[in-house]
Amino acid sequence: MPETEEKDFKCLRCSAEFKLPYTKGVMQERTCPKCGSNSVRLDRKKEKGAPAGEKK
Amino acid sequence: MMDVGRHPNIKLLTNSKVEAIKGYVGNFDVKVLKKTRYVDETQCTACGDCAEVCPVVVPDAYQQGLSSRKAIYIPFPQAVPSASLIDMESCLGTNPIACGKCADKCDKKCIDYDAKDETIEFKVGTVIVATGMDVFDPVILEEYGYTKHENVVTSMEFERLLSAGGPSDGHFIRPTDRQRPKTVGFVQCVGSRCEKIGKPYCSNICCMNTIKDTLLLKDHYPDIQAKVFYIDIRAFGKGFEDLFKRSKEAGVQYIRGIPGEITEDPKSRNLKVMVEDTTSNKIEEHEFDMMVLSVGVTPRLDMPEVQQLLTLSKTPDGFFMEAHPKLKPVDAPSTGIYFAGCAEAPKDVKDSVTQASAAAARAETLLSAGKVKLEAITSTLDTALCRYCATCSRVCPYGAFTVDPKKKTISYIDALCKGCGTCAAECRFGALTMKHFTDEQIVTQIDAHLAEDPGEKVIVFACNWCSYAGADTCGGARLQYPPNQRLIRTMCSGRVDEKFVLHAFRKGAPMVVVSGCHYVDCHYIDANRWTQKRVEKLWDKFEKWGIRPERLLLEWISAAEGQRFQKTMQDIEELRKKVTKEEIEQTVKILTEEEEKDKAKAKKKQADSPTKKKS
Repeated sequence: MPETEEKDFKCLRCSAEFKLPYTKGVMQERTCPKCGSNSVRLDRKKEKGAPAGEKK
Repeated sequence: MMDVGRHPNIKLLTNSKVEAIKGYVGNFDVKVLKKTRYVDETQCTACGDCAEVCPVVVPDAYQQGLSSRKAIYIPFPQAVPSASLIDMESCLGTNPIACGKCADKCDKKCIDYDAKDETIEFKVGTVIVATGMDVFDPVILEEYGYTKHENVVTSMEFERLLSAGGPSDGHFIRPTDRQRPKTVGFVQCVGSRCEKIGKPYCSNICCMNTIKDTLLLKDHYPDIQAKVFYIDIRAFGKGFEDLFKRSKEAGVQYIRGIPGEITEDPKSRNLKVMVEDTTSNKIEEHEFDMMVLSVGVTPRLDMPEVQQLLTLSKTPDGFFMEAHPKLKPVDAPSTGIYFAGCAEAPKDVKDSVTQASAAAARAETLLSAGKVKLEAITSTLDTALCRYCATCSRVCPYGAFTVDPKKKTISYIDALCKGCGTCAAECRFGALTMKHFTDEQIVTQIDAHLAEDPGEKVIVFACNWCSYAGADTCGGARLQYPPNQRLIRTMCSGRVDEKFVLHAFRKGAPMVVVSGCHYVDCHYIDANRWTQKRVEKLWDKFEKWGIRPERLLLEWISAAEGQRFQKTMQDIEELRKKVTKEEIEQTVKILTEEEEKDKAKAKKKQADSPTKKKS
């Protein structure tokens, strides 16, 4: 069973940043706690330790 | 059960396992493993002589392990067929030297230790899934001390203890001292409505089961004090409220509050609970001789196997998902498969019988018609373009495709297709076309919407069943949303091909929205998961190309969420206003270049392939 962990996500609609449970390989409906949008994206930049908003 | 066993048109296969089901409505090929009973059921008279001489004693599952049975036994008194069977895992008799007593005793010589399992294959037109449920095991709720305190029993064990055919022959006793208890406490919602253990749903039957149990208890033993601890009593069925009233009139005390813990007095073995009565806001202490945990219903452990056999989908609580909760509550998403009983959701006997009757009628309607009306909106396959990559078979929620990449063969069953269009959206070689929702038709719509002032428009792809209906609800309720948003309907959001999104941006769209059903509502089992994957991939690509991913949004909007649709569209309009003309021009440039690169690559590949063949 893949492990579930808390990961950083970012809402593409309202730019809110928050943590949600994430299980690799498992599709989940994710909702922004601030605006209710489903355009919620895993914040890979934060994961890598780079400051948010930094361009590659 | 007896009627079913005797019916000339019903073939009953007990002690059997369905190993494979292939095909589609009207043409299911079923393979069943009929496990041997080691007893000839046609000859056995269920006299029970064999069980009397059997030396092996094991816990009796029917009696919840509160009494024992023999290795050769009849599972329960009204079992059909009424014949013994041998539990070979416990039996000593495979070697007659070791035992063989039952075979010696049987006058009709029904017992055959060497009998073998049998595989049966047959064809059926429809399938009814009535695989039932399991009961929640409260061991994990340590606070209730089930198995630690012997006088804490489950509602199932309580039923057996109260039954005339039960382990104590109808004498109601508590397990520790085998004396009749004077006080009995019932705890509701054990394994139901509990987020902590992943069982947030109501099990539907426990409230009424407890009310019935208290009435039985009071009927047999009016002097026993009974108290029920509950969150709220759900007595919503016909005559249920009356039963609840009768229980209260019989002297059963209902306390609104769930005990935090059950502790045991080591001397008396009595059980103590502390509870907050939420009607009086007082902390109370109660002592009982015995406590009953009203356990909830859980999906069967072997449900994944059945799910795989029939390509079914499950709701988040783990039960099978029906085709539509209101309009097709008995049907599975695949045609010709129906549900009856707790396989679909927890339900009581009455609801199970109602659903079973409906399922039988649905199946009979289909069979008596003799022919099936198929979906008009299905995919068509052009085998000449197919490269046998097997993407279609991976994404099809109904298993309509069977691809062998090594042998380069593909088979497509049109009758299985429900028309979500995910295959057509995922096929990179254009081998699949969705009838009535072809690439050309959708691209033409995009072109038409963006023909004038594209920078002012937002393209919204909306699925037929939820998001498009959500827009209708929004309109029907006279809720205003920005008029510059252009909806393009697809049957499922799974049909929204990456190239549609890119085309819209290339045509100068400032924003594109892909919307569909919420996960649990997807009308095509799980097709919208592929939508999400596709959109997530596009976000990554956009980032790589220097396009803001924020310009492509994914929104799940149900048919009832008119207000959500309005709010989403209003928010998107605000975001659209922030997209500058220069940004749009830059996006068009980037995407046109990327398209050119792709075309060049494809051309090169095409040019290279005959050269390679020649060399």
